Amino acid sequence: MPKTSLRALSARAIVTAIADAADRWSDADFPPRVRATKTIEARTGYTTPVVEYALDRLFFSLTREALEATIVDELGSLAALDGFVERRGRPDGFARGVDRVIIVSSDTTIGVALVPAMFALCAKSSVMIKDRNDTLLSAFIDSLIEERPEFAETVIAQTWRGGDDPREAKLLGSADVVVAFGGPQALPAIRAHLHPDATFVPFGHRVSAGYLDAQAFAARDDRERRELLEGIARDALLYDGDGCLSLHALFVANLTPETGFVDALVAAFERVAVEFPPGVLDAARAAAVASRELLGTFRAAQRDEPAPSPMLDLAPPADAPPALLPRVLPIYPVGGPADVARYMEGQRLQVQALGVADPADPGARALAEAIGAVRVARLGTMQAPPLGGHHGGRPRISDFIRWIDAE
Amino acid sequence: MTADYRHEADALDARLQAVIAAPQTLDDDAFLSLACAIFAHQMRWNAPYAAYARRLGFGPDRLPETVADIPAVPSAAFKEAMLSTVGDRAAIRFETSGTTQGRGGVHALETADIYDAALLAGFDAALLDDGARLRYLLLVPDAAKRPQSSLGHMMAVVAAQRGDGHTAGFIDGDTLDVDGFLAAARAAVRDAQPVCVATTAFALVALLDALDARETQIALPPGSRLMETGGFKGRTRVVSREDLYTRTAATFGLPLHAIVAEYGMTELSSQYYDSHASRTTLDRRKAWPAWLRPIIVDPRGKPLPDGIVGAIRHVDLANRSSVVAIETEDLGAIVDGELILIGRERGAELRGCSLDAEDLAARA
Repeated sequence: MPKTSLRALSARAIVTAIADAADRWSDADFPPRVRATKTIEARTGYTTPVVEYALDRLFFSLTREALEATIVDELGSLAALDGFVERRGRPDGFARGVDRVIIVSSDTTIGVALVPAMFALCAKSSVMIKDRNDTLLSAFIDSLIEERPEFAETVIAQTWRGGDDPREAKLLGSADVVVAFGGPQALPAIRAHLHPDATFVPFGHRVSAGYLDAQAFAARDDRERRELLEGIARDALLYDGDGCLSLHALFVANLTPETGFVDALVAAFERVAVEFPPGVLDAARAAAVASRELLGTFRAAQRDEPAPSPMLDLAPPADAPPALLPRVLPIYPVGGPADVARYMEGQRLQVQALGVADPADPGARALAEAIGAVRVARLGTMQAPPLGGHHGGRPRISDFIRWIDAE
Repeated sequence: MTADYRHEADALDARLQAVIAAPQTLDDDAFLSLACAIFAHQMRWNAPYAAYARRLGFGPDRLPETVADIPAVPSAAFKEAMLSTVGDRAAIRFETSGTTQGRGGVHALETADIYDAALLAGFDAALLDDGARLRYLLLVPDAAKRPQSSLGHMMAVVAAQRGDGHTAGFIDGDTLDVDGFLAAARAAVRDAQPVCVATTAFALVALLDALDARETQIALPPGSRLMETGGFKGRTRVVSREDLYTRTAATFGLPLHAIVAEYGMTELSSQYYDSHASRTTLDRRKAWPAWLRPIIVDPRGKPLPDGIVGAIRHVDLANRSSVVAIETEDLGAIVDGELILIGRERGAELRGCSLDAEDLAARA
């Protein structure tokens, strides 16, 4: 990778350039975004509203205020990225960005590599991104270069074959920091190529879960109930359930017919499914969904109950992991939070987010801690994490810098 | 058990035995006729299946008009209900134990008679069409110790009925007896006695690894063959068929066509095998006996034309005392009258003892 010329720029100038480029991409009619939307749809099979939602969330979040606030929170000041700064009660410090960052994001949904790449650029590191071949990253980088030509020598997005490609091993071996999104086989394989002193930032597969008390839900007013229900549906249906931010299982306490919860949730799913239609499934996933639907019919027939919604899997076996099928939300009736913790522990699930009605509720926070979640969010916002939050429990920029202390 | 039931079941079993003995008599019309008769029988005596079929609109007044109309239960339903015409009075109970999902199901059958007749006829056609009496070296569960293993039962029956009287097994719990296998193979070579090695794919890998570690190869006597079953989807280690067969052929001195894959499920009474025509290549296709039919369906359950990939539904007449039609998540396509098995899906479960074999590989 070339020597970075971003180091001649101030961090504020870099942040401004990123925010300005993101602002252009926030316009759904911006031609590069229109082109990227089409290629993303072709790659993922997601429908246009889903891709638009993802791009809106991505680019609306990349504001100057949010970037600066995150950096200041982690490093103490923006200026620390430009040179030595005074730090109260500590030696002067310079948060110098590492030279080479590689981001591998071949097993992810839309644009997930973009946020770490932008923070690595804020740290003035050279960044190479291995991404899916939908041109989103490279098109956004073109916009960055239009803002500041210095980016041209600093950041590259490209695709290459993984696994045994010798170029990949060579590149990974030269990196100071490698951020990798992938599965249990890909991550160790990537790590094996790293220099011993390199920092590895893995983001493996995780699930997200929700918890709700149906009686407390029933006591809320109509507007709140509707918001929560449609939020649950949105969290579950977006990206057809792909990705660690999707709601993969909902645990419901006090789930009795009197609460009307299930019927109301089915109605909410039907409404939200219109807003975010299903994408194209491959044959394997389509068959798995069809099989589960048949099983739902079988179960209902045994209980002489009405046929369930194909989008809800009511009371699946509690001794098996959630099926993780697209647009099918398992609903687990539970006695309380302790049952959720037991289930998660029993299934050894790595948890990304816990969705709840009120993230400020101490009980919800305690449950998040108990199940190892790295985020507790209001149901309906699970797919839209704030830029200032940690991703996967990790800082946004600190992994990309090395502190130089002047004592 | 009522006299009505006995009369009905015996009549159906007699028809099935006749078909198994003379499969050429079962044309499309005869298959549909027998399938509908079995479906009607199961509607009367298999309550969970009957409830399901009624939910789908079938009943005494509405029987299927085509084989594809027969309501197919998802294979996972075997974990949730006793899908049998005889309930707890089943003579044999095969378990889908040790699955990737961690939960097992039961395939309960009234009698072993039909099951054994079907498996023997299928095995004969697939592996013993030359009438060979082989020595069976088994890398499958021991049926005496694990009667719930359908694979163990199948090979025990084959070995007892078709073997040379010197059958030996080399898996005990999670231990692979490599020394024992080698001794038995060498004895067969000494006796010039062709063998049939029956193994799960994963146990075969474990055996090949062990022999590689010893830098040992053993050319099995001419006429020997190997039947492997199972797969690697969802396992910690995946071996390509090309690698597996190439190594197997080299290690045991077997021609490629002597290595035959079986495709079966605990929930079925009949099995698919590599077609004879496809065995000279690694591009294998499956053939099936006359009393078994695969139907490739789309996600809505509608049959797909030949050449189109979809989920595989099995209509197995030998499942007279359980469920005649089973929907799987396995993918395949029918081409030129043969089944191309695309793969077992994410979450789909392997037959029988594959997890045993994986444990075995880890500890061998």
